[in-house]
Formats: sequence, C-alpha cells, structure tokens
Amino acid sequence: MTARSALPVLAAAAAAALLAGCTSTAPVGQQGRGPELVRPGALLTCTHLPYAPFQVKRDGKVVGFDVDLVDLVAKDLHVTQQIINTPFEGIETGQDFAIRTCDLAAAGMTITPARAKVMDFSDPYFNATQALLVKRGTSVKKIEDLKGRKLGYQKATTGALYAKAHGKGVELVEFEDVGLLLTAVGSGQVDAGINDNGVLLDYAKHNPDTHVAAEFDTGEHYGFGVRKGNDALRKRINEVLARAKKDGSYDRIHRKWFG
Amino acid sequence: MPRPLSRRRRARLVRGAQYGVLVAAVAALTLAADWRRLGSAFFDVSVATALFPDIVTTALVNTVRYTLLGFGFGLALGLVLALMRLSSVPPYRWLAVTYIEFFRGIPALLVFIALGFGVPLAFQVALDQGVTVMLSLGLVGAAYMAETIRAGIRAVPKGQTEAARSLGMSQGRAMVSIVVPQAFRIVLPPLTNELILLTKDSSLVYLLGLSLSQFELANFGRDALNEHKSLTPVLVAGLLYLVITLPLGQLVRRLEARTAKAR
Repeated sequence: MTARSALPVLAAAAAAALLAGCTSTAPVGQQGRGPELVRPGALLTCTHLPYAPFQVKRDGKVVGFDVDLVDLVAKDLHVTQQIINTPFEGIETGQDFAIRTCDLAAAGMTITPARAKVMDFSDPYFNATQALLVKRGTSVKKIEDLKGRKLGYQKATTGALYAKAHGKGVELVEFEDVGLLLTAVGSGQVDAGINDNGVLLDYAKHNPDTHVAAEFDTGEHYGFGVRKGNDALRKRINEVLARAKKDGSYDRIHRKWFG
Repeated sequence: MPRPLSRRRRARLVRGAQYGVLVAAVAALTLAADWRRLGSAFFDVSVATALFPDIVTTALVNTVRYTLLGFGFGLALGLVLALMRLSSVPPYRWLAVTYIEFFRGIPALLVFIALGFGVPLAFQVALDQGVTVMLSLGLVGAAYMAETIRAGIRAVPKGQTEAARSLGMSQGRAMVSIVVPQAFRIVLPPLTNELILLTKDSSLVYLLGLSLSQFELANFGRDALNEHKSLTPVLVAGLLYLVITLPLGQLVRRLEARTAKAR
C-alpha cells in the first residue's frame, strides 16, 4: 500500500462521506451492522516485517501465521485483508491507530498492560515464550552465561524488557528489527539474540549454524490489537478465533507454519 | 468606467493578496489543529525532564563523536580523491570518478548496512561501532567533499602555481604548500555544510545495533518514545540537533564574511 495509491482512495472516501451527509465512517458487513473500518471493503492490517513465520514476504506477497488467521476475520467480514508494513514502534505505541493507518495490528505482538492502555486486544491466539539464539558450538545455556558478553534484542519488544530485567552484567545491544538482530547473531557481532520462540525456531530451522539455546517461559500471549473502543471489531475477531479453534482450522494453520 | 490601475498600485495589490492568502492559510491550519492533543503528546514536561542528563551526556556526545569521526575520515579521503581526480595519470582519475559517482549515488542507509553487516560476515570480525560509523559516514561524505575540494583547488588562480613553480618548487610541493591551503579557505563554508549534513546522517548508526552507551540523539529519542509512549522525546532530540547545527550555520556565515573581507 503506497501513499500514491492511498490519495485517490482518501479523496474518494472524503467525497463519499460528504455525499452521505458527513458520516465519516461507513458501516460494513451484513445488514449494515458491523465493525467500523478505516476504508470500507478492506481490512487494513498493520505489521512490521519481517517476522517469520508470523509475517514474511514471499514472492511479492506477505504470508504467515498471523496473515492466515486475519484472513479468516476478513472473510467473515466479507472484505479483503490489506497489509501495511510500518515500524513496530508506531504499532506498539498506538500511534498507527490514532492516525487511522489500520484497523487491526497483527504483528506477533504480546499482550502487555502498557500496550493495553493504548489499544484493545483480542483474545490470545498464540502462546509465546522468549528464547535465546546463539551460534552452534557456544556454551551459552541461560542468560547469566552471557555476563560480560553481548546480547542483542529488538527495540520495543518484550524480549527487550526481559533482557533489561534479567541481563545484569550483560552488554545489551539494541536492533531496529529482527532481521538485523538475527544477522548480527549469525555474523558474531553479538553473542546471542533474544526474541520470541516462534521467530527464532524458524530462523534456526533455516540457518543450521545457529540454534535456540534456551527458552524462558514468560507466560506471554499474542493478541491482535484494535483501536481503543472498536469493540465491534474486537468481538468479531474473538468469534472468528473461537470458531477456528473449534473447527480445526486453527490447528491446520498452526501445522502449516510451525510443522 | 473605473480608471485602470497604475502598475505600481497593481503590484502592491498583488503582493497584498499573496500575504493575505499566506495569513489565511496559517490561520486555518492553526485553528484546525487540535492543540490540546498536540500539546499533551509533544510537550510533556515530566517526560522531557526524565530524559536529562542522559540525552546530553550520552546521546548528544555520541552524535558529535560519530559525526566528527566520519567527517575527519571523509575529509582526508576526500582530499586524496580530489587530487586523484585532478591527476594527470588517467587510472587515478578513473578510480576517483568511479568512487565519487558510486558513493554519491547510493543512499547512506545502504552503505551502513553493507559495511556494518557485510564486513563481519566476510571476515568474521566484529568491528567496533565507532569504527563502522567512521567508515560508513566517511565513505559517503568523502564523495561529496572530494567534489567540493576539487572545485576549491580549481578556484585558486593559476598564477599561484606558476609563481610557486618559478620559485623552484615541484608540482606536488606547489600543490601541497600553496594551492591546497588556499583551496581550503575557499571551500570552508561548503565543508561546514557537509558537516551539518553528516550530523544528521549519523543517526543511521541505529541500523548497526546499539548498546545503551552508544545511543545517539535520534535513537535515544525514539527509544524514549517507546518507553514513555509520548512524542516529547522526539521533540527534545530535535531541539538538541539544533543546538549542534545552529552554531555551525552561524560559523559558516562568519567564515563567509571573513573570506569576503580578505578578498
């Protein structure tokens, strides 16, 4: 979604809103009752790439575990999902919702009290733990083994919080996104990287010279974020998630991305 | 039938209308903006005070440090490139032109990534962050500075070289002792400009991954933005950039005035 293609759409939406007697958002869904969407006909999803296997670009398309789940929601709303890649900080701080960039955030994002202050979360859809990625042959088993060495984390993530809370005596190095963090582990710029288990396991699978040395059960759950007060959409997401867990489509998608 | 307007009167009316449109536009924007929300997002005093003193003792200091490292390396390399480009030996010229066109043509961001991740991958050595910044900023800065310095050397009157040669100096000696010093005096203002540009480009260091003690202004501001969920740190960081760049701009104007007087 580029700014260029957004302009005519915005203009058209504004014109339509004027014609419709200055309603700023149009209801979509069956019987004219449903969640309010930023742009009628599309479910705009904010994410921060790359975050394999949750969202990752493949052959010019964004695919992944989160994408498949949100597609179920989009199907339920009779709209198509459109994915917007934006810095994670904008998602995490609620700014993207404030400036109406998207309807929903699906970014492998852990539900935290701080984030819940700036957005509303769906029910949990994935249990995440933090994990340590190291190069093969390193003796690191736990975070304490890294004393005096370098541990990389991704800015504004729960891994960052965990590293800051438990990494006494460890030199912490901050990376803008997970792609750079993992490359830094691979090239030996840092001795270990902390991030969510799903992402690190996926990376280690494709890069056999690295492996996940440890997992810390932090009791984290991923949730989809929506703009504060958008209860109609939040409820719809929860309904879809509950149905997917019951009818087996959740398991099918889970198998597809985590094996 | 009204008398046609005189040319002067019409010019005044047109200018008045332009001012009017400007004032109306500013007024409309001012009235339309939600100042209360902007205020709470950008001017949160408690957030701003929490940033000090680290934003100065760490972030500001690092920004200056990264910039000076990059500028120093870039200036040295730029001088070499400028001399190569002016050389009578063709391969030197080709090399310099290729370098300048390449590094002037690609975004500094890509240079940072290529160097910061390429070198450790290629040689399995982790470079010190300061060294990587110095090299990345310097490589890009050198391309611009080489062109500036070359223009400066060209601007030194030919008679200076001829006079030096007639005193028995070699071509190289004349260049180093007579021409280059004068050239630098000419290009001081544009070089200061380059220093200001590099100050802002130094924020790209965030791509390399930074430890807390290595944060510079932009990264510090964005990190605090995430921590406090407020845009105030970005504003404070921006103001601190001005603390660095505004005196530099002042310096350029002083130097220009002095050069003008000396002529």
